[in-house]
Amino acid sequence: MLENAQRPLLSPRGVLLATLIVAVALPGALFGGIMVLTAATKPVMVDAFLRQVVQVDPATWPYTTLVSWGAVFVLALILLTFGAVISGMTVWWEMRVSSRMQCRIGYNRAGAAGFLQWIADAVKLLFKEDLIPAEADRMIFRVAPYFVMVGFALTFVALPFGESLIAADLNVGIFYLVSVTALVVVGILLAGWSSNSKWALFGGMRSAAQVVSYEIPAGLSIMVPILMAGTLSMQGIIRAQGAWPWQWFVFTNPAAVGAFLIFFIAQLAEGNRTPFDLPEAESELVAGYLSEYSGFRFALYFLVEFGNLWVMAAITTTLFLGGWQIPFVSAADWATARGAADGLPGLGWWGLQALSMVVMIVKTLVVLNLIVWIRWTLPRIRIDQMMNLCWKYLVPFGFVTFVFTLLWQVLVARMPVISEVTGVVLFVAFLVMAFFFVRLTKANIVAAGDRVDMSNW
Amino acid sequence: MEKLILRRVDRNNEEMILNFGPQHPSTHGVINFIVETDGEVIRKAVPDVGYLHRSIEKIGESTGWHGFMPYTDRIDYVAAMFPNEGYAIAVEKLCGIQVPKRAQYLRAISTELCRIASHLVSIGTMTMDIGAFTPMIHGIRERETINDLIEALCGARLTYNYHRIGGVAFDLPEGWRDQTLAFLDHFDKFLVEFDRLISFNEIYIRRLADVAVIPGPMAIDYGLSGPNLRGSGVDFDLRKAMPYGVYPEFEFDVPVGKGMFGQVGDCYDRYICRTREMGESSKIVRQALDLIQQAPEGDIMAPKVSRNLKVEAGETLSRVESARGEMAFYVVADGTNKAWRVRTRTGSFTAMGIIEAISPGLMVADLVALIASLDVVAPEIDR
Amino acid sequence: MTLNEYAGSMQKTVSSFWHGLSITMSHLFRRPSTVQYPDRSALPVRDMLPPRYRGFLEVDVSICTGCQACERACPIACMQITLEKDPANPKQRLVTQFDIDEAKCMYCGLCVEPCPTGSIQHTREFEASMRNIRNLVFRWSDPARPFPVYKVEKGAEYFPRAPLGSLVRAKLDAIRWDAPATRYLPPEPPAAAAPAAAPAATPAAPTTPETK
Repeated sequence: MLENAQRPLLSPRGVLLATLIVAVALPGALFGGIMVLTAATKPVMVDAFLRQVVQVDPATWPYTTLVSWGAVFVLALILLTFGAVISGMTVWWEMRVSSRMQCRIGYNRAGAAGFLQWIADAVKLLFKEDLIPAEADRMIFRVAPYFVMVGFALTFVALPFGESLIAADLNVGIFYLVSVTALVVVGILLAGWSSNSKWALFGGMRSAAQVVSYEIPAGLSIMVPILMAGTLSMQGIIRAQGAWPWQWFVFTNPAAVGAFLIFFIAQLAEGNRTPFDLPEAESELVAGYLSEYSGFRFALYFLVEFGNLWVMAAITTTLFLGGWQIPFVSAADWATARGAADGLPGLGWWGLQALSMVVMIVKTLVVLNLIVWIRWTLPRIRIDQMMNLCWKYLVPFGFVTFVFTLLWQVLVARMPVISEVTGVVLFVAFLVMAFFFVRLTKANIVAAGDRVDMSNW
Repeated sequence: MEKLILRRVDRNNEEMILNFGPQHPSTHGVINFIVETDGEVIRKAVPDVGYLHRSIEKIGESTGWHGFMPYTDRIDYVAAMFPNEGYAIAVEKLCGIQVPKRAQYLRAISTELCRIASHLVSIGTMTMDIGAFTPMIHGIRERETINDLIEALCGARLTYNYHRIGGVAFDLPEGWRDQTLAFLDHFDKFLVEFDRLISFNEIYIRRLADVAVIPGPMAIDYGLSGPNLRGSGVDFDLRKAMPYGVYPEFEFDVPVGKGMFGQVGDCYDRYICRTREMGESSKIVRQALDLIQQAPEGDIMAPKVSRNLKVEAGETLSRVESARGEMAFYVVADGTNKAWRVRTRTGSFTAMGIIEAISPGLMVADLVALIASLDVVAPEIDR
Repeated sequence: MTLNEYAGSMQKTVSSFWHGLSITMSHLFRRPSTVQYPDRSALPVRDMLPPRYRGFLEVDVSICTGCQACERACPIACMQITLEKDPANPKQRLVTQFDIDEAKCMYCGLCVEPCPTGSIQHTREFEASMRNIRNLVFRWSDPARPFPVYKVEKGAEYFPRAPLGSLVRAKLDAIRWDAPATRYLPPEPPAAAAPAAAPAATPAAPTTPETK
């Protein structure tokens, strides 16, 4: 009853303000922390910091190790928090987008545009009872979410955010990422087995089959940018690409377009996203491996599922879409801005870093939206079709792209201009496609007798 | 009951018994399927019905002739006009009541709109069972408009109770005709968009084509009816084969499964039959809205239908083409103001019978598609 | 699988996804078709409903003839009507009880049709969730002050009726959603309560804690 409704705590303007504070300050603080700490935890930076700001000699000062470990610890905390926050925000954004696609309004209660809903959901899940089925394998049941969580958290070690903004630029970066993401499937399989539910078992088995199969096309397609860059390091792969779209790996090699698609599909499958959401297939397996989980443990799975979107998108951006590269800023400019290699960098360098981070975030969000968009359009494929797709389509084409890239690199070594020409041609082709797509989208609105109206977004 | 069914399932150590329901997202209500699986492959699926039994047939024996009408809504609450119509026709046959022309047109309009609404739910939930969520909401969106129209016509969105013995309850409201025509114009565009969105989606086709094929003779043997029967390539529609009401006056086609992307009688044929049938229903509504203008306004009830109706002893069977197949009412009267027996035949209940025969060899995901393509509604199975 | 099928399936996949994705994308730029119930719509929802909407039943006792046609038409006996002779005026009959259990009502509209004066009507009111379901039993006749039946004048075509919905609205406003269950006093007339309609007529079962 309207008259009896409780008066809201805040006025609409207050709600908007509170939402804006959370929506801006929370990611702002996290990204800021990541930016400062990823750069500052490097030994060179710590040394320079101690020498120039604290005025001590890092070699003899007794607390040098403590400072650098402390910084790493704080960074680790921030990265974990970032994973949780970004997955929550992704949930909110996905719900908003999906509701628009379905002519609904979506989240709109908690906070302006329902932005605080993910916080409310998380709090609710934390307070829920942590149920363990009577016949479940209790130990494995409890442990399984942590495997998933650890597999997810470890990816942030080698995930680039900007030019120098990476927790650890491993020389086997992409290899490391592929291996730690495979840890997630262990958790899912354990969850499926230990729940002692037939649905969960189905989900776990499906997930194992799916992730293991799709590692192969994913690995093959990852080989393409690796071959083109000549390194496994995430930053190395990005540095090998240019800032402009026609310098990205996806456009500079005809086979890389195929590799991009194969990698993208394989990522969808590994992240259990539609059309490959078979392990949790709501309409078939109730909730798959999640069937018996509740409360905090369920929240962990949920967090990882949506946090993985960011990871998937960031890896795709790194490998194929030029990462954090800023137009008009060459490697020489970075070095100039950095100044002396063993000193603290100036404000200009930090500005460039922030810019590179923005570029990376924007590209990642675009890819993330692509995944969301696909989820709300396509139906789910069947398990045998999923295997067919992997082994009959993706793996052979993965090999083709791999071999083609080998030959292509030989050709590019002889004629460097060919990669630039291909880049321009493919990018123009992409633009033409995008133009036709936009036209078709407009035609859809007109054909349904509707009009463009964003007034209620 | 469960033990009884389990006994029918051959058990050895290899197979797993899966209780697919009664609370499962894709059983469309409370139905239980006891499924014997070998990994993902189903050896046998046995439906276990009766969870939603409300003894509506028995209620028909205790309420008066008029009083049973609201209960018929509850037989199939997704398409409540059809049981309304079936029961009304049955009693009218028993009493020899002649329904005015305008009421007959109104019945045709309301049932065909209801058929569209029901098929929208059917194909919507089918896409959702296959894993696409958006098309379902689009279907529900259109259904809401139909619900609004029917609400303006009879005052309720779900349990309409619109038909009466001897006619219908209300005449057309003012401006309703134009609203309906505007909706149908929009709806024809929607059907095109829906086909592009999901019907011709390659994953969707692959999930449904050649899955759970029911050949025509088998469909007849098992007593399937409605779109399930026509999906198997059998051209049998009560509106054409044994026309009732004003259906002979309308021109419309009966969509029949042709094996569009696979064999005749697969899940996709049943699906596409429904989508095409919505277009045909839209045609019928247009024609009925034109023809109804010739019938005098306000003439919607047969004269002299007593409030306390007493029906002479006798029995009758009425058959209407419901959204879920043939809906038949077998009514026996014994001369009092209550029915002696009301028996209902519904499409969903007969459709359950074929699941055990057709399910061996399907995968778990295919069983979901099969149930969805048979368009079962739990209350209609159990009544 | 021939090469043609192999390539054809890929081509079909791409083209069908192309169309599907363009449609979902186009919906991002269209206005949603839902309204935000209950507090962000332009009008209260009850005012957006069509006039024929079958919501709560409302009885205008000033034109009720006490003919009990509605009670007879009701298939689930959610109404209870009791008539008595006025002790002061033996020719005048009084409606001492006119209860409608809105929680039991299935809103079929069969009671509205036989009403000779249009006293009982469906309104567009529908929002009344109550903590105690007995609070949804509406007493249209106060047992302490029963109302006399309305005498229809010969040839009358118009019966003055209170605005539709105003009476039921007043009743709903008078009761809070979490009000304790009503205990009806004084006791019901014992002779009138037919067993079939007992739930509406018998006093509140002492299952719910009474705060009085």
